[in-house]
Amino acid sequence: MTVPLQPAPDSALVERMMAGDENALTALYDRYSGMIFAMLLRILRDRHAAEEVLQDLFFQLWRGAARFDANRGTLPAWLMVIGRNRAISRLRRLSTQEIVEDVESWPANAVPSSVNIEDETQRSLLMEKLRAALAALPAEQREAVELAYFEGMTQTEIAARTGSPLGTVKSRVRTAMQSLKQRFEEISARSR
Amino acid sequence: MTERHVNPEDFDLYALGALDGEEKQAFEAHVHVCSACAAEMVAAQERVSLIGLAAPPAIPSPAVRESLLRRIRSERADSATPTAAVSSPQTRPRPHPFAWLTPILALATIAFASLAVWLWTRNAEYLRQIDALQSQLASAQTQSRDIARTAADTDKLLGMPGTVRVGLKPMTGMHNGRVGVLYNSDMGMVTCAGWLPAAPPNKSYQLWLVPMKGKPMSLRVFSGEWNEPMAMHVPAGMVAKAFAVTEEPMGGMPSPTGPMVMEGAGE
Repeated sequence: MTVPLQPAPDSALVERMMAGDENALTALYDRYSGMIFAMLLRILRDRHAAEEVLQDLFFQLWRGAARFDANRGTLPAWLMVIGRNRAISRLRRLSTQEIVEDVESWPANAVPSSVNIEDETQRSLLMEKLRAALAALPAEQREAVELAYFEGMTQTEIAARTGSPLGTVKSRVRTAMQSLKQRFEEISARSR
Repeated sequence: MTERHVNPEDFDLYALGALDGEEKQAFEAHVHVCSACAAEMVAAQERVSLIGLAAPPAIPSPAVRESLLRRIRSERADSATPTAAVSSPQTRPRPHPFAWLTPILALATIAFASLAVWLWTRNAEYLRQIDALQSQLASAQTQSRDIARTAADTDKLLGMPGTVRVGLKPMTGMHNGRVGVLYNSDMGMVTCAGWLPAAPPNKSYQLWLVPMKGKPMSLRVFSGEWNEPMAMHVPAGMVAKAFAVTEEPMGGMPSPTGPMVMEGAGE
């Protein structure tokens, strides 16, 4: 029986990328492009646009690798946060200046992670659990969270879109986020 | 410092982008001056970013990867070129003895430029075709790797004592599907092969492990037609009483809620 090789951790790949190693970038791309692309496609609903944002994101990662501080945040979480910001900005046709700002501020806004998503199996399990957690929310709460996350809407905009009173929307979003936070903490505790 | 901190619920709402108006301004003003709340906001960003992982699975075209690499190499080449240009000494131009050739050279330049444009257009078309072929090849390679990995896991399972074979039988509402499962509780491993048609509109099929004790465990949600073998890991020591497929709302549920469409117990 052979023992499978352990994949290189993100921090090692980022170090190699800083030294100009293209293979390190492609390894990170192969590891995370699927999950990032799925999110981008859900937001933009256009494969071409989602692929453009995905490529820009990894190109920015390549150029900004020297700024990455593994002690202050994890790469996949950063990719998710910045990728979502870029997609929402594109969706809402905001100026590119806002997009540049969040990248330039990295790692000041780096995101620490308590959940291991470097490992493919853990990542797949996590994705299934998160889908189940969202699916378990009451329909109105799930709709409010999805409009905020995937369409970048504020509570006021969600109220206008759904025709519900603002107070009701606030209550739905807060209750949904409390439920999700509790579920995330359970998932995080189990993955440690 | 006696300043009140922000409402704990507002961290997730801010990270979600749901806060607006005065609530958003008040939140940002406080977080700007409170390091404890700034740290909590960073944790909320991570938590909220995970919602994106719940998006339906999708794979980008392999052409994106190739294009990214081309872009990087192009940037490297561009950054190297100006250095050479800057290092060249500036010299004052002298009258050329063959100045009369200038109009002819200009015409030749235009002709070559036209040729270059034509060649570039043809090349771009060929590159698109190559990208499309590479896309198909990479997709096939990924599928092949997954199948090979599952086949290796299946071989491993078949050779181990304690491996159980389960054939799931169709029940009401399922006329065509067939699913076979190999399972070893000591190894905590399940492989699955067969075929399931696409679930009805706005529904998913969901495969469950029904343990001897406790709640059923979700193994996989099928959003479309499925016919590729797959391998999954479950907690070692979890003994299965049966496996089942249920029809659930799109995306699956944390526990079974819909009708059971396939079911099978160990042989």
